[in-house]
Amino acid sequence: MKTDDQEKVSIGAYITLAFAVVFFSGLLKSNEWYGVFDFTTLNGSFGRLMKDATGGMAAFRGVGGSGAADGFLFALGLVPTAMFALGMIAVLEHYGALKAARKMLTPLLRPLMGIPGSTGLAIIGSLQSTDVGAGLTKSLADEGELTDTEKDVFTAFQFSGGALIVNFFGSGAILFTLSDTTGAAVPGSIGLALAVMFIFKIVGANIMRFYLKTIDKKFGEQAITAEAN
Amino acid sequence: MSAAPESKKMITDVFVEGARKGWGIGIGSIIPNIMMAFVIIKILSLTGFLNVLATVFGPIMALFGVPGEGAAVLMAAVMSMGGAVGVAVGLLNEGALHARDIAILAPAIYLMGSTIQYAGRILGVIGTEGRRYPVLFGICILNSLMAMFVMNLLV
Repeated sequence: MKTDDQEKVSIGAYITLAFAVVFFSGLLKSNEWYGVFDFTTLNGSFGRLMKDATGGMAAFRGVGGSGAADGFLFALGLVPTAMFALGMIAVLEHYGALKAARKMLTPLLRPLMGIPGSTGLAIIGSLQSTDVGAGLTKSLADEGELTDTEKDVFTAFQFSGGALIVNFFGSGAILFTLSDTTGAAVPGSIGLALAVMFIFKIVGANIMRFYLKTIDKKFGEQAITAEAN
Repeated sequence: MSAAPESKKMITDVFVEGARKGWGIGIGSIIPNIMMAFVIIKILSLTGFLNVLATVFGPIMALFGVPGEGAAVLMAAVMSMGGAVGVAVGLLNEGALHARDIAILAPAIYLMGSTIQYAGRILGVIGTEGRRYPVLFGICILNSLMAMFVMNLLV
């Protein structure tokens, strides 16, 4: 890992981050030219197959299927969204969107969650991979960068919604491209869901912080014993 | 988090690499999970258990503007996020859940998602003390419920 506290984050990285926010927010969802800046618009949809000569329409999945067979065809139809989303995430990351996010987040960590700015890299890592996040956290704790309390608070942040970006864009983003049996499209947007989840990850960390400060203090005096295993 | 020399990778290569990861998730997770969920939902529906679920959890889930069947999505989430998405999609398909219910449930799936698996991969690796586990699981469930409450107001 790089020693990245002094690492320069270019203006381009911030622009990329801003682009990412707009791209997944659904704000520019449209068939006008500016639709090119919207994920759902570019993700598009499958064409329709003619069902019969009278012009009844169905997607390639057909109508009236059920069970494993129907599930397979349906799931197959979801794969392009996952591929497109993760392809875009890779490009955005390449242009520094996550670096910019880390830079902006670092000074906020202490006020938001009571954890030091040195966890910035682990936070961004944990949004992509639980293993990276947990590994970095473990080494921060071993190096004495994190107190036991800070470690537990940070763990609460990671544990709820683990590897959020990859998991959500890998499967959850699909949900916002669907319609129900009445034909109504799923409301809200990928960006809204992501914002709500991120906020509650922070809320969860603060619940842990509060718990450790209040309830746990009363019962946890004998916890000074060195860590086992 | 790529390696140090980010030198001259074509943007198209970067995209394709990411898309390939998406393909891997599609084949390795989305398709098997959703297929399983469709089968489970068919079983639940044939045995009438889906109706039982709706009746039992109806009153609680109503607090969040979701029908009782939504509880099945949350139960699946604890095991696997992808599985829960599969259950959600299957129930949407059956007409048991509607578009708005999906939007309300989506953040909740991830906030309490895969926690059983992550107990090993996150808490185990970090070396979290055993007595913190119940609190951490509690926080995930609480986060999910609060997120559903907020989404119910927003969408």
